[in-house]
Amino acid sequence: MMARTELEEPLATGMEAVLIVSLLLLASIPLILAYTTLILTSFADTIVSNPWVHFHFTIDNWIAFFRGELSTTRARIYTTSQILWMIGNTIIVAAGVALVVLAGSITSAYAYSRMKYRWRMGALKLLLLLHAFPGVALIVGVYTLYYYTLVKYVSLQHRLLYSFVFVIFARASLELPMSIWILKGFFDRVPWELEWAVIVDGGSRWTALRHAMLPLVKPGIAAVAIFAFLAGWEDLIYVMVFLPPQAKTLATFIEGQLAGGSLESSYLPILAAAGTLYLLPTILFFVFTQRLLMETMSGGVKG
Amino acid sequence: MRASRTLNNPLFFLLPALLLIIVFYIIPLVITTWVSFTPLRNWRITLLSKYIGLENYRDLFYFITHDPDGILVLKTTVVFVVFTLIVNVLGGLLLAIATYIIEEKVSLTFRLLWLLPRMTPLAVFGLIWYYFFYGSPQGTLNAFLLHLGLIDKPYFWGTDPRLLPWSAWAIIVFVNGLVGVSYGMIIFYSAFKSIPPELITAAKVDGASTWQIIRHILVPMTRWHLVFVTVWQLLSLVTSYTHLFVLVDWRIVDKWHGTTWALFVFNEAFGDVKNQGLAAAAAVVLVIIGVLLGLVTLRIMRFSQTTPEPKGDL
Repeated sequence: MMARTELEEPLATGMEAVLIVSLLLLASIPLILAYTTLILTSFADTIVSNPWVHFHFTIDNWIAFFRGELSTTRARIYTTSQILWMIGNTIIVAAGVALVVLAGSITSAYAYSRMKYRWRMGALKLLLLLHAFPGVALIVGVYTLYYYTLVKYVSLQHRLLYSFVFVIFARASLELPMSIWILKGFFDRVPWELEWAVIVDGGSRWTALRHAMLPLVKPGIAAVAIFAFLAGWEDLIYVMVFLPPQAKTLATFIEGQLAGGSLESSYLPILAAAGTLYLLPTILFFVFTQRLLMETMSGGVKG
Repeated sequence: MRASRTLNNPLFFLLPALLLIIVFYIIPLVITTWVSFTPLRNWRITLLSKYIGLENYRDLFYFITHDPDGILVLKTTVVFVVFTLIVNVLGGLLLAIATYIIEEKVSLTFRLLWLLPRMTPLAVFGLIWYYFFYGSPQGTLNAFLLHLGLIDKPYFWGTDPRLLPWSAWAIIVFVNGLVGVSYGMIIFYSAFKSIPPELITAAKVDGASTWQIIRHILVPMTRWHLVFVTVWQLLSLVTSYTHLFVLVDWRIVDKWHGTTWALFVFNEAFGDVKNQGLAAAAAVVLVIIGVLLGLVTLRIMRFSQTTPEPKGDL
C-alpha cells in the first residue's frame, strides 16, 4: 500500500513544473477530447467532435432515449418501461456481482490473513494464477457448462432466472481472486489483539471476524464492493453471451446499436446520451472516493 | 469454553470462494480442454461425446500456417502485444515520473484522468473511440486533420485498405494502451512514494537537478518493478480481447487486422462461424502460455519471501 510520507515541496518548480504539466496536458489531449465529445454530444443537436462545430444546447437526446425513440426517424421502437428495465437489468447484474464477490471474499480473505494451514502459500499462489488466467479460455468452458445444464435441467419458465443467476456468479468469479487479495491487504493492517480478546473469551474465529474485524475494515469492504459493482456494471461480454437477447443491459443495448458499424450520424447524439448515462456511476465514484480509489488501486490492480 | 470446531476451521472460511473457483475455473478448464478434442459446432451438445483426437489442433496449425487470415492473426497478435507492451511500460513510467515530481493536487487530477479508461464501461469506451475515428468529416480525428489542412477528405481510419495494416494496428495499440498504461503508472508511482523523502531532500541540498534525481534515484529504484510490470502486462496483453472485440465488432478497425489470438478464440466460439472445437484448441494453447507466464511472475515477485506470515496463530 501507499506510504504516506510526502515531500515538503514538489521536485519540479517554476519553469520546470510548467513544462512538465504542459507535456502531460499535451499527452492527455486525445483522452480529454474523447470524453468531452461524448458528454457534450449528449446535450447537443450534432456530434460535438471539435472546437469549430456549431451546435445548440438541448436535452432532446435524453428525452428521446427515455421515450425509446431510438431510430433515425425517431420512431418509438422501445417503450419507456423497456428502457427502465434495461437500466434495471444493469443494476441487477452489478448488485448481484457485488454481493457474490463480498460473500466469497470476506471469509477467504480472513482465512488468508489470519490462519495458518499447511497449503496456505500454495493457495495464495493459486489466487494469483487464477487472476491471471486467460478469461477467454474460461468463457468457452463456462458457456458449455451453462448451455448444457440449461438445456438438460432447466424448465422453460425458469430459464431467464437461471441466465441471470449464472451470469452473476460467473462474472463475480472473475473478480474473486483480486478482491480476496485486496481485502487480505486491508485485513493484514488490522492489529490482532482485538480478535485475540474475543477468542480468549471463548468466541470462535467466526465471532472474531464479525465483531472484532469487520467494524475495522469498512473502507476495505466498501472498496471491494464498489469495484465489484462497477465490474458487473461495466460488463459487456458476459451479459451479451449469457443473457437472452430480450434481456438487455445498457452495454448490450449500445453494442446492439453499433454492431456491424454502419450508423446514421443524426442518431449518434441519442447514443451519446445513453453512453453518458452509462458512464455516470464511474464518474460519481471518481469524484467522491478519489483517495480510496487510488489506495485500493495501488494495492491490487488488474492487469 | 471452546467454540465449535467448524467455526474455527480454515476450510469453513475458504469454502464459499473455493466452491466458486471449482465451478467457474476448474470445471470450465477441464471442459474447454475436453471440447478441444471434440467436433463441437454451433453448440450442438450431442457432439460433446464424440472424441476426434488432435484434429482441431491440426486444423489450428493449418490455419496459422496456410490460411491468410490465420497468418494475419499471428502477425496482429505479435504487433499488438509488442507495441502495446512498450506503450504500457514506458508510458506508465513516464506518467509516474511526471505525476510524482509535480504538485500533489495537479498530480492527482492527471492520475485520475489516466485511470478513467480502466474504469470506463467497455461499451462507453468503445463509443468514444467510435466518435473519435468516425469516418465522416464529423469524426474527431478527421475534423482536426481537415481543419489543419493535413488531409483533404475524411478517412475511415481503421478500415481503409490504402491505410492498412498499420492504421488498424495503430488504433488497437492506441486504444488498449490508454487502458493499460495506468497499470504501470500506479505501480511505479507507489514505488516512488516509498522512497524516503530525506533521500530526495538530501540530493537537492547537494545541488542535484530534477533530471539528475530522476536519472539516478527514481529510475534505478524501479528496476524490479520494471521487470514485474513487463511480465504481468505481457501476460494480460496476450490474453486480453474485450476491447479488441468492440473495435472489430463495430468496424472501427478491419476484422482480421484487429483480431489477435485471444479474440480469435472468442469469435470462433461465439461469432458467426461457431466452431467451438477449434476455439477450444486455440484456448488451450493460450492457457499454457498464460500459466507459464504466471509462474514466471510468481518467481519474479519472490512470492514466498515477500508474503507476510498470517497474524493470529493460536
